[in-house]
Amino acid sequence: MIKTKNRIPPSLLAFLVLMVAWVLATMVFKVVTYTFLPSPVDLAEALWSMRKNLLSACLASLRITMSGFLIGLTVGLLMGLLMAYSKAFMDTVGPFMEFTRPIPVFALIPLFMIWFGLGILPQVFLVALGVMGIIGVQTYEAIKNMPLIYIRASQNLGANKKTIFKTVVIPYIIPHLVGAIRVAAATSWGLDVAAEFMGVQIGLGYNMIVQQMYLNTPGIMVIVLIYCCFAIILDKIIAAIERRLTVWTDRAVVTFEGIK
Amino acid sequence: MIEIKDLCFSYQNRKKAKERKEIVHNLNLTVKDNEFLCLLGPSGCGKSTILKIIAGFEKAEKGVILDNGEEINDVSYERAMVFQEDAVFPWMRVYQNVEYGLKARGIEKAERDEIANHFISLVGLSGVENQYPKELSGGMKKRVDLARVLSNNPRIMLMDEPFGALDAMTKEKLQEQLLQIWEKTKKTIIFVTHDIEEAIFLGDRVAIMQPISFGGELHVYDIPFERPRSLAIKENPQFQKMRRQMIDELKEYESF
Repeated sequence: MIKTKNRIPPSLLAFLVLMVAWVLATMVFKVVTYTFLPSPVDLAEALWSMRKNLLSACLASLRITMSGFLIGLTVGLLMGLLMAYSKAFMDTVGPFMEFTRPIPVFALIPLFMIWFGLGILPQVFLVALGVMGIIGVQTYEAIKNMPLIYIRASQNLGANKKTIFKTVVIPYIIPHLVGAIRVAAATSWGLDVAAEFMGVQIGLGYNMIVQQMYLNTPGIMVIVLIYCCFAIILDKIIAAIERRLTVWTDRAVVTFEGIK
Repeated sequence: MIEIKDLCFSYQNRKKAKERKEIVHNLNLTVKDNEFLCLLGPSGCGKSTILKIIAGFEKAEKGVILDNGEEINDVSYERAMVFQEDAVFPWMRVYQNVEYGLKARGIEKAERDEIANHFISLVGLSGVENQYPKELSGGMKKRVDLARVLSNNPRIMLMDEPFGALDAMTKEKLQEQLLQIWEKTKKTIIFVTHDIEEAIFLGDRVAIMQPISFGGELHVYDIPFERPRSLAIKENPQFQKMRRQMIDELKEYESF
């Protein structure tokens, strides 16, 4: 039997190694400048000094990112499903999608500000658009690549198109979308940062720009770490939901250990 | 009654869009009600294609197929297909799979439960109703598929090498079980296979399909064995003689 007790998990170990290296570099040997890489103590001080508006900034960023992500996810799923469901819809919307999809979402930020003003709306819209693009395409592709036999079996058992979509297409594609949803979730944090750089007067991204103006590296790093935590938490939530929705899959984890 | 009249069908060549490969040519066949007909032939001769056209998945190019005198132009639960591949929905538990057709056709829960439970026990799935297909063996999954189709009470069952992927033991068991069910329900069954023994054991008639290069016609054998049949008839000299005859005929076609 392999001993699993008393072993430090690898992720914790990696974290500890990083922390020790950081402390050594910044506090013991002092090989880097404060502006280049501040020490953990500097970060704690920065966190303390920012305490007043950090909470509202967090809430603002969370609101932008989460509403953008959820809107983008819903609309993207619906678009993908509709494109597969109706040829007429595909023929109408498809060409527009084809034409607009290669445009980098980030490049639209200045335009969005002109079109939608400086409020929270253009930010949410931007995140939603980025997420929608990823999810919409993936949904459509997953449906187009699903085994015909399930559709035929369902149709042959007396199901109509609507029932086929509800009972066969949607359950089948969910496990195939998890990867895309996690990528989209990660991307939505990036989109939020970019959007806030240019638009709003609230939020973590905006605060980051302020810190940068004062060359306050510890402040920037604190915000980066907060973004990290948020992104990890969201990813874990999605992973937990995934496990519940895909209990039926027969997924063996691929490993190349022991193969010469 | 299924009547196939002067049926032609060709597939589009994948590489050259304009070329079509003819696979069924002027085929005629009548399958009577309650008959168990086995369709035998070398691989690629168009057996499965015929089933797909009867099911309504493909359209006849020339000729017609009549189901009780009416031309087939859509998929219907009354002509139920049992596929060679595993078509059981892996995201549904066994029970949900079995009641699927009934639910899709809007049948009340109480009636659904009664029918589903009946067929679950008939095919020997009692005790695994709440498992997911991934937890079942290949033979068990085929049983789920059978129960799912039978629950819908189709008039005609179209079976496309349903036991082709199973091991010999499981296969024989399912063949026996299928016969028992057929004796009880007396459905019309068209059973495609490339297993000669299976065809003789199951069928009232066995139709051997020639590849198109040999004329594409059907050579029909009447199987004289009495019902109910048991696996013991496979040892019967007459059974063996018929088997030999069919092997020789098929060997001739394999060289095409």
